[in-house]
Amino acid sequence: MTPKSSSAPSRRSFLASTAVAAAAVAGGVPLLTACSGSAESSGKGGTTSGKDAKKLLPTFTAQDVVTPDIPSKNGSSLGFTQPLRMADLKASVPTPLGKGGTVKVMAPFWGSPPKSQNPYYTAMNKAIGAEVVFQNQDGNTYDQKLGAVLASSEIPDVVVIPNWNLGGKIPSAVISKFADLGPYLGGDKVEEYPNLAAIPTDAWQRSLFGGKLLGIPMPAAWVPNIVPFYRKDVFDKEGYRLPTSAAEFLALAKEVTNARAKRWACDDMKWTAFNSFGVPSGQEKPLGWHMTDGKLVYRIETDAYLEALEWTRKLYAAGVVHPDAKAGKTQGDPALRFTSGETLIYNQDISSWYAKTAEQATQKTGVVIWGMDIFGHDGGDPTLWAGSPANIWSFISKKASESVVRDALAAANVTAAPYGTKEYMLTNYGQEGVHYTLENGLPVKNEKGNNEVINAYVMLDGPAPTIAHPDLPEIAKAQVEWQQRMGAFTKKSSFYGLQIVEPARYTNLADDFEQLEDDVVRGRKKIGDVQQAVSDWRGGGGDKLRDWYRKLLDDNAAQG
Amino acid sequence: MKELSHSTAPGTARTPDDKSAEDAEGDRSTEDAEDIGGAGGRDGGGGSGHPLPRPRAGRRSGRAPGGPGGAPVTGRIPLRVRLRRDRVLILMTLPVVLLVLVFNYLPILGNVVAFQDYDPYISTNGVVSILESPWVGGEQFQRLFEDSAFWDAVTNTLVLFLIQLVLFFPIPIALALVINSVLRPRVRAVAQAVLYLPHFFSWVLVITVFQQIFGGAGIIAQTLRQRGYEGFDLMTDPAVFKFLVTFEGVWKDAGWGIIVFLAALTSVSPDLYEAAAMDGANRWRRMWHVTLPALRPVIALLLVLRVGDALTVGFEQILLQRDAVGPGAAEVLDTYVWWNGVRNQDFSYAAAAGIVKGVVSLGLVLAANKIAHLMGEQGVYKK
Repeated sequence: MTPKSSSAPSRRSFLASTAVAAAAVAGGVPLLTACSGSAESSGKGGTTSGKDAKKLLPTFTAQDVVTPDIPSKNGSSLGFTQPLRMADLKASVPTPLGKGGTVKVMAPFWGSPPKSQNPYYTAMNKAIGAEVVFQNQDGNTYDQKLGAVLASSEIPDVVVIPNWNLGGKIPSAVISKFADLGPYLGGDKVEEYPNLAAIPTDAWQRSLFGGKLLGIPMPAAWVPNIVPFYRKDVFDKEGYRLPTSAAEFLALAKEVTNARAKRWACDDMKWTAFNSFGVPSGQEKPLGWHMTDGKLVYRIETDAYLEALEWTRKLYAAGVVHPDAKAGKTQGDPALRFTSGETLIYNQDISSWYAKTAEQATQKTGVVIWGMDIFGHDGGDPTLWAGSPANIWSFISKKASESVVRDALAAANVTAAPYGTKEYMLTNYGQEGVHYTLENGLPVKNEKGNNEVINAYVMLDGPAPTIAHPDLPEIAKAQVEWQQRMGAFTKKSSFYGLQIVEPARYTNLADDFEQLEDDVVRGRKKIGDVQQAVSDWRGGGGDKLRDWYRKLLDDNAAQG
Repeated sequence: MKELSHSTAPGTARTPDDKSAEDAEGDRSTEDAEDIGGAGGRDGGGGSGHPLPRPRAGRRSGRAPGGPGGAPVTGRIPLRVRLRRDRVLILMTLPVVLLVLVFNYLPILGNVVAFQDYDPYISTNGVVSILESPWVGGEQFQRLFEDSAFWDAVTNTLVLFLIQLVLFFPIPIALALVINSVLRPRVRAVAQAVLYLPHFFSWVLVITVFQQIFGGAGIIAQTLRQRGYEGFDLMTDPAVFKFLVTFEGVWKDAGWGIIVFLAALTSVSPDLYEAAAMDGANRWRRMWHVTLPALRPVIALLLVLRVGDALTVGFEQILLQRDAVGPGAAEVLDTYVWWNGVRNQDFSYAAAAGIVKGVVSLGLVLAANKIAHLMGEQGVYKK
């Protein structure tokens, strides 16, 4: 139900932030040539790629509305830092494409949803040409509801599912419950929805479940998304130097921790540890497999995995981690500990760079949040592993009628509008004068905007790679540059970019590793317990799963 | 009923009340009603003097309630007659019975998935999925009994139960005795209100408050640090976790638990205390010989209920703190079922664990009840 490690909670809070932030993360790279090979997609389990995939995928047509002043490089998002003149905004959806029906959408929501009849929703529905009705569920407990909803015979017309909720048996539910969009979007048919046609092909590739085009993907940058943030204001004042190795980090952490003054160096740093030590991505299970010296190795089998856990354990043992972080995810908000100065470093999704900075700016706290580069554990360059070019999908129920499917696609077509269009402004900022005002030509959201224009419609779909914060251009610049620097160190593991459904009998194999990691770093279990669990995992099906992946790889290579 | 007993000619002089209750049923039911009416009339002494004519309904009169002399009517009434007599009450319970059937008994059938490799998503309907899922027999149970995490959960559950039994169970009784000995009604009311209040806090709130007080960055630890001592962290120490959980439970619910005991105490006749005092019993002896014996049936009943529920030691409270100390110390059966079933979607496996828990609980409640009977108490039910 949850990804086995790294990014789940971070992405949750990415969505907890404003619509702008959410859209900002939806980056990605339009040109991906890698995936060779062909299909191995019999029923449930397997993947679709190569020629078979080409037949199913929508044809890409770029939407060049505004030229980004920071072009994408090393997998980064496109960066827009120049202010836009509202009069220059283009309409990408001149006439609403909807058929006027009602579309019920179940989507995760972080925060308190606004009233269902509000000016923002009305304006959006008008642009869409259909009545979109949200059935929002708490994003933090979405995984607990999703399984039950999909097991019932009545599912909403559209269900939004992020990849961190795609564990367990959910992929098999996706295959059996959702409509094939091929007849609507495959090949040139997508031209009817120009903004969907502008979604990069590698994002669409990720929507191929069980040999069919099942979802509308939200594109994302594949550069690692977890940034170690630090309090630049405090670092500058005290003259602390940024660490460039794992050992330096520990030394610095000990130096800056002063429990008496209620100040700890950091929050839980497990995700950064995995990045720093070069552990393959834990975002999705297939990403954790990589061909090493002629053998497929899963991330939990690597030495780097154990070393990263050991280093994190040392941080806890040294008492430099905030005690509330030790008490677990249910105890308080890491971001709050960070901005209140109880911790000086924490790691989080890159979107919180903007979200937290904007929040602190309105409160005028003087807090300066900056991201440090991920350091290689030995002081050299880090080895980072790519995430996925799409992580959130809107799926349409198999039972939905054709007109409902068309309405849902019309809705996604509006929310996927690129930066520089009227639809982008409407989706992310609302209506001028109602939700935001222009100050020096820059849109600034007011309270109504902050209450209404939050993660509802942006969950349906987003444009190709974009980071743009007209109100804080320097943050947009820093985000894109961080992505580009880190992207230079980022490698793609063997199954990068593919949508792979593991056979049902293996889906629960690695369920308990995340728990075990948390136990080890907090000193409740030993590294030896992890080694034992890994050997149990091998014997309990891990080796067979390796063979299964190996066959998948060989089949792809043979036919491609 | 009473009105019916006045009517001498069944089927003719029916009161409006009667009509509305049984208009569809016609003469036969009127006769029945009259039978009962007869009995009721006599018990209530409400008749206007003339005894009810034994109705001519020969086929039922043999089994009709009571004798002409107004003998006790209990236990001999035929089922049908009782159904008629109590139909209003039965009607009133129907909705609840229906709820219990639909939400408690019907789902029990779903336990069949414990013997399958259940995948709820293979069809559009959960029931069809059950029919289509492959049968694996006792495989899930075998997996379960071989899983050390399951046995950890069982151990944790039982240890926590015992700790709660010893440290939590007696506290409401003691509190009730203390409250009962407070004579001034105002003080008593305030004390009761203060004790009840925490029950209405949610677990999230309670645990947050505990974290802020006893946590590693909590008030106590910080105060100690500022005085130059080592801080401590009660909330993340697996060794004290079970006591911590019990402590939280006492703080939250002990006050609420005294209600039953207070109610039992009010039924003790003051005469008994006076008599005991006359005989020279001091306060302590009065409590020992008068108060506690009065509470004994209630204590026994609650004890039986508690033992029957031994494998249920709290879910939300423990789930919220599972991360803080890890599943090794915090996993109990209920969280284990949740983790595997809802979170990992291993429904069949979780169902198997649930069945094991249910069967053991049933055994426990039967055993505890037996013991209560042996002690001469009523227990939960009688044969």
